[in-house]
Amino acid sequence: MGTELKSADLLQGTLELLILRTLTSGEKHGYEIAEWIHAASAAALSVEEGALYPALHRLELRGLLVAAWDVSANNRRAKYYRLSPEGRKRLRQTTDAWRRTSTAINRVLEAV
Amino acid sequence: MRAWLHGLRLRVVALFRGHRRDQELQDEIAFHLAMREAQLRDSGTADAARHARRRFGSAARIREEMRDEWAVLPSLVSLLQDCRYAVRGLRRSGAFTTVVVLTLALGIGANTAVFSIVNAVLLRPLGFAEGERLLLLHEGVPAAGIDRVAFAYGDLAHLRRDARSFDAIGSFRNRSVELSGGASDPERIQIAQVSADLFPMLGVRPGLGRPFRPDEDSPGHDVALLGWELWQRRYAGDPAVIGRAILLDRRPYTVIGVMPADLQFPRRGPQFNSQPGDVWVPLPLRNAQVEYASGFDVSVIARLKPGVTLPQARAELDLLAAQVQAQYPPALRNRSRARLLLFASPLHDEIVGAVGTPILLLLGAIALVLLIACANIANLLLSRAAARQHEIGLRVALGATRLRLLQLQLSEPLLLAAAGGLLGVFVARLALRAVPTAVAEQIPGLHGVDIDLRVLAFTAGLSIATAVTVGLIPFATRERRRVSDVLQEGTIRTTGRRRHRVQSTLVVTTVALSFVLLVGAGLFLRSFSALVNSDRGFRPAGVLTAAVVLPWEAYPTADRVYWFQDSLVRRLEALPRVRRAALSSDLPLEGTTVGIFTIEAGVDGAAPPSRHTSVLGSYFETLGIGVTRGRTFTPEEMAGERQVAIVNDKMAQRYLAGQDPIGKRLKWGTRDSRSPWLTIVGVVEDAADGRQAVATLGDERPVHIYEPLRQTPVRAINTRGSLAGRDLRLSVLTEGDASALARSVQQELAGLDGQLALARVATMEARVDEMIAPQRFSTQVIAIFAAGALLLVSIGLYGLLGFVVSERTQEIGVRLALGAEPHLVRRLMVKHGLRLVGVGIAIGFIVALGATRWLTSLLYETQRYDPLTFIAVPIVLAAVAIIACLIPAHRASRVDPLVALRGD
Repeated sequence: MGTELKSADLLQGTLELLILRTLTSGEKHGYEIAEWIHAASAAALSVEEGALYPALHRLELRGLLVAAWDVSANNRRAKYYRLSPEGRKRLRQTTDAWRRTSTAINRVLEAV
Repeated sequence: MRAWLHGLRLRVVALFRGHRRDQELQDEIAFHLAMREAQLRDSGTADAARHARRRFGSAARIREEMRDEWAVLPSLVSLLQDCRYAVRGLRRSGAFTTVVVLTLALGIGANTAVFSIVNAVLLRPLGFAEGERLLLLHEGVPAAGIDRVAFAYGDLAHLRRDARSFDAIGSFRNRSVELSGGASDPERIQIAQVSADLFPMLGVRPGLGRPFRPDEDSPGHDVALLGWELWQRRYAGDPAVIGRAILLDRRPYTVIGVMPADLQFPRRGPQFNSQPGDVWVPLPLRNAQVEYASGFDVSVIARLKPGVTLPQARAELDLLAAQVQAQYPPALRNRSRARLLLFASPLHDEIVGAVGTPILLLLGAIALVLLIACANIANLLLSRAAARQHEIGLRVALGATRLRLLQLQLSEPLLLAAAGGLLGVFVARLALRAVPTAVAEQIPGLHGVDIDLRVLAFTAGLSIATAVTVGLIPFATRERRRVSDVLQEGTIRTTGRRRHRVQSTLVVTTVALSFVLLVGAGLFLRSFSALVNSDRGFRPAGVLTAAVVLPWEAYPTADRVYWFQDSLVRRLEALPRVRRAALSSDLPLEGTTVGIFTIEAGVDGAAPPSRHTSVLGSYFETLGIGVTRGRTFTPEEMAGERQVAIVNDKMAQRYLAGQDPIGKRLKWGTRDSRSPWLTIVGVVEDAADGRQAVATLGDERPVHIYEPLRQTPVRAINTRGSLAGRDLRLSVLTEGDASALARSVQQELAGLDGQLALARVATMEARVDEMIAPQRFSTQVIAIFAAGALLLVSIGLYGLLGFVVSERTQEIGVRLALGAEPHLVRRLMVKHGLRLVGVGIAIGFIVALGATRWLTSLLYETQRYDPLTFIAVPIVLAAVAIIACLIPAHRASRVDPLVALRGD
């Protein structure tokens, strides 16, 4: 159980970034987000799909996502998530940070 | 910060729709699973639903995780969950919950009540400025049998002039007076005469009006300060009463102010002058002609100078005492055998002193009850926890953390403690209300005690500490056991030896503790019954009594006083159903008048003290005080024609041993005093007096001399303001119910003097009851505590055995299946319980033998090793224990072997 938690912690940051990224193209429900992430990066959700949901709720509680219940394409009630202005800002910041970090890493790697 | 607030808002909203929140979480997961299942099925996967679930992971755990995200405080949610779980569990086992909550409520409630009393009476400061420097002074001649006496006027003046250890000295004395004037009826009230410097020293000022001026305690200043309560009651809180005159014993006093509502002075507790006053007037001793060794009725409070210690002050008082005695009349001067001493003790100790021990004892008893209650609850919770081990093992297997388990484990005891604590506050309030007024009146500071907030906090802490401790015990005992063991117990039940040892210890402890309590209660009951049945030397049955005080202003001469005395006795005797009637200066159980006397044939210079009562009418017959030799006073003697006296057995034994007392002569004062010689005409039984309130009911009876009321010196009666011959008690012996005669007696009094304030009319039996009210109260309280302890012990035993039975059901089933007789099984179970009880009783016996030492001073004619108590208590305890054991034992003997062997 302990090791599970650790890998989940490592994944968390990435997973949240992925969720925010996924939602830039508009609001989605949990399943859609899972599918998108799956397509983008198989690894992030390789442990279990359920892990997505606590992350979604965490982001909602932090005000980065706004959630609302709506009717899905197949006529079922589903919870839809979209980016809040804060969410957008956070995505921009983190993406920039990521870029800077990876640039730095690349430079280090090139220098070797 | 903004994000945090946003989240908090969402969480709080969610909190209020907790149920819907859960539903939404479930819906969201269900939607996901349904979508995935559909997708898998479309792609041709067999068993799509199962695969969808596997890809998703544990829905339950994820839901839990999400729920945690939504928690207002992350741990609060699980705590609430645990509480909800605990509530459900507690509700399911109603009997258990009721027992635990009631046990806690009683324990905590009684404890709070007792502690509030201790706080109010023993710990609270006096409420006077620099109270810790205040000393109460008194005089005494221990060598002459006078341990303590209030100050003589001249002695006080000497002290004021010469003492260097004090920076202030105040004096006061009590008086019972008739208050009249205005529209209201006359009434008897307590006043205190105080020196002008007393209230400034105590730091007390009138709430309204002005204080006494420094020179107002000299003769000729008739001014008065009203007490708040009297001001409200009689004068409707009207400020205009200031400047008006009130009549005290028909003498006008000008009201100059009203004292604050919380002032109680004099305080109850000290031996003399300890009746809170309704009105305060100056004590006119300043600049007055005062004599040494006269009066002996003023109490003195002195304030230590800063830097002066109590031993230093006492040393100075020793020197002063010798100087004071040197100024005494020749007969009292320089007698090495009867040295005058001046004593000083902290005012706080004097006020609290006498009640300290019983109250601390009460505290000890209640602590025992609380301990028993805690042990009992621990036991019950242990049994319960053991029953839940399987469930907890399961939780561990499912990945519950230690912290989570601890929380789960504590939620139940905490809930129980909270409920018990809340209920305990009500119990405490009820208990405090139940303190009889008669007791509250006699214990200083107890009047109107309410629950103290600090005490409440203390009790709350106590109940939480109890809960946590108790909650941790089962946790500690389980610690070492592995999950697999616990889970396997479902099939093979092991009897947790460690837990059993803890539980058995707890049962033994409660038995031992309650043994001690029961012994205490037994001794108190024995002592009380001895007190009730003690021979007081008089017969209270059928006697009605009342106090009558004639105001000097209306009865200024001896003739007027005689007229009233004679007419009243005649009228009372003429009442229907009255057999005998008498007037006297005091009654049995009172008797505070002490004088020194000399026997004609006695040792020269010996002037021992004696109680003194003056009587008129058939005093001894009315009160059933038997005559052992000689006779009572004749009508001629009552009329004052001969100078005679009657003494009690004690006096005859001590001072006229081996002689016939009849015909011997004695006189008041020393041999050279101006009092006439009195011839002894009779000897009567020793009647109890009440100098030390209750203790004397059983104490060695004091020497007592009676004489006819008419022998009171006319000069004394005619002295301005004198109470001589005017402070009277009437007593009538009736046929049948004495209290029925109260109205007629009051009518007769009104017939003689319509203005006379109605005195308190009470039967002699009521006076006796009142006097032993504190003993009755503490006996009742400790008996209730002991009964409670007994109940707790039986609950504890029942709980433990009941659990043992359910745990050993399989073993018992096997025994029964193999042919064991049911009564043998029953005996096995009872034996199990009684072994513990036996050990508890043995330990309790030893502890009680030592602990009763603290009771000795409170017991009346009862040995601390009272055999009856020490025999009865183990029997009672064992009997109750057997009953408590029989019920589960009976259940054990009726175990159906088939059901038992099939197990869970």
